[in-house]
Amino acid sequence: MNTSRAWTVMRNDLRLGPRSPLFLYALLLPVALTFVIVGVFGSLFAPAPRLGIVDEGNSSVVAAARSLDGIEVTVVDSVESLERLVEANDLDAGMVLPVQFDEAVRDGLRPPLQFFIGGESLASNRIVLSVSALDLVRGVKGDAAPVTVDVMTIGDAEAVPMATRMVPLLIMYAVAIAGAFVPAASMVEEKEKGIINSVLVTPASVTEYLAGKAGLGIVLAMATGVITLLLNNSLGAHGVTLILALLIAATMMAEIGLIIGTVAKDSNTLFAIMKSAGILLFYPVVFYIWPSLPQWIAKISPTYWFLQPIFEIGVKGAGPGDVWLEMLIAVAWIIAILPAVGVMARRLEQRVAMAA
Amino acid sequence: MSGPNPSIVATIVRKDLKAFARDRFYFWISVAGLVVYVVVFWVLPDTVNESITVGATGAGIETMLEKAAGEGSEGLNLVAFDSRENLETAVANGKGDVALGLAFPDDFFESVMAGRPVIVSIVATAAVPPELRTAMTSFVREAAFAISGDPLPVSLQEQILGVDRVGDQVSLREKMRPLLAFLVLLLEMMSLAGIIASEIQSRTVVAVITTPARIFDFLTAKIVFGTLLAFSQVVLLLVAIRSLSGEPLLVLTTMLLGSLMVTAFALIAGSFGRDFITVLFWSMLFMIPMMIPAFGLLFPGSASVWIKAIPTYGLVEILTGTTSYGDGWAEAVPNLALLGGWTVIAYVAGLGILRKKVRSL
Repeated sequence: MNTSRAWTVMRNDLRLGPRSPLFLYALLLPVALTFVIVGVFGSLFAPAPRLGIVDEGNSSVVAAARSLDGIEVTVVDSVESLERLVEANDLDAGMVLPVQFDEAVRDGLRPPLQFFIGGESLASNRIVLSVSALDLVRGVKGDAAPVTVDVMTIGDAEAVPMATRMVPLLIMYAVAIAGAFVPAASMVEEKEKGIINSVLVTPASVTEYLAGKAGLGIVLAMATGVITLLLNNSLGAHGVTLILALLIAATMMAEIGLIIGTVAKDSNTLFAIMKSAGILLFYPVVFYIWPSLPQWIAKISPTYWFLQPIFEIGVKGAGPGDVWLEMLIAVAWIIAILPAVGVMARRLEQRVAMAA
Repeated sequence: MSGPNPSIVATIVRKDLKAFARDRFYFWISVAGLVVYVVVFWVLPDTVNESITVGATGAGIETMLEKAAGEGSEGLNLVAFDSRENLETAVANGKGDVALGLAFPDDFFESVMAGRPVIVSIVATAAVPPELRTAMTSFVREAAFAISGDPLPVSLQEQILGVDRVGDQVSLREKMRPLLAFLVLLLEMMSLAGIIASEIQSRTVVAVITTPARIFDFLTAKIVFGTLLAFSQVVLLLVAIRSLSGEPLLVLTTMLLGSLMVTAFALIAGSFGRDFITVLFWSMLFMIPMMIPAFGLLFPGSASVWIKAIPTYGLVEILTGTTSYGDGWAEAVPNLALLGGWTVIAYVAGLGILRKKVRSL
């Protein structure tokens, strides 16, 4: 293979590429998705227990409730509104603090406390909200608890916020669109317009042509991958290992892009393959969003093996020692896919020869 | 102006269907896509774990735990451990789904009743959310108040509003049902838009309307073909994910309207698209906002007003209502009307734009 010819193919694509809306699409997608998914859906994915309060007097419970960590408190202006919100599952529970509630509690009059529970609220949220509410009322009475509670943190498990668990999805989009879809679409477009035949009557071989397209995918996927990690503040402390993991991701995606681009004879077929194969490449991201799902299912997909190192290094601050095995398996996948690319290259060569 | 000529429309549809079936690869890859969606659906969990498993240790603590369970601590699954070491190990390793541990001293009951100072440790990993730590702190305090004979400072009046779904929550699998059905519809919208764009670019449409076929026949044929393609695939999916058992006629009517609506949007995307990439761009422009109602189902709470204004809201609501909540025609009528209204609007826009485009060729 003559690398300078492959370089020419890639350089040509990089030079002419920005004229295509697909390049713009691939580069802007990480930015747009980061905004949409983290900005809009991020908070929706992490539903804290939601408590509504109607304060008919001027109870100190409201301020105390607002200071509760991890509970979303909403002050509602009427009992009717509270009932409506709880019933519609816009709140998990709600309580009504009547006029002079604090005084009645302090005087030991045991005033009524209406506590509405949403039928659709989770049992765990119900218990969290009801015991927390009772504790707030105990606070008003001012009685010292007959017990001291000491909270101890053990182990090294970390709390990963939902917005962070979405990072693999964003990375996957960035590398799949730029690394696989752009070269595949470029090849299909050149087939449809007959450009591929013109290219292959020059001294450039099919291997050099494919290497050029793979280079295009790798460069673009690396760029969009870094942009995505930067936007999500997920570059971690081990930049070199992270870049290496991204390179592995970009290479695997470029290989897949070459296979798809060779198989698809037109745009419709390309799209049909992307929509079916896409789910097989993308499904591991679901297991980061919901970590309680059985993780072995994610490991079946080759993309898991590059997503995991990127997530561990970029988000959890892991080092090369923690992720070498996953990276090695990802490289093994790349090597395993390579013969398929070779077969496709030969098939493309035959097709072009027949067309000529 | 007279209506479309049925025999001409049928001929064009037949031609499109033949072209679709002849392309074996495209045909089988569409089947494979459907199979993948069905597999994804059945792999997703069909139950919701809504209880918190809490480990506890301390002499005689089992009695207190039994009492707590007997008082209807729904959502709290208490597990006794024989030593603090075992409890800490279980919490650290997440063994038996133990979210956190309560380490009571062996003289807990005696100390509380005697009013002596007593310390209870809550053992948790950093992954335990703050509200759970707060709640368990309150739980321990309340247990101590109860043991010491201090009653609640209020007269608690609990009331459950709406259908109590504890133990019968809508699972992730159920919530994904409309999203998957919807993805099939939207992806078919992109396919049809691609076909229309290519017929415009290759001027096949011009060739067709130089025959006895008129633009109206051509447009009607595209609508029939697109609707048929989207509807047949979505029905296959719904059968495979068992979504036609409750109100089959209502679900099929909704899906037919949905198929008609996405076909109308395909007319718009196909008119603007010059090639695959521009079709993709225009289709995504419609797809992303239209997917929001289906995504919204994954989260608790009612939809905001702006989400209700999205054309696909009615479709998603009906599908969720019938498959997850047992709704019937009576509950679905307002959403059917909404869906129908949006479909009409989409057709007025789609047909207008495509007709203008064809006439400009």
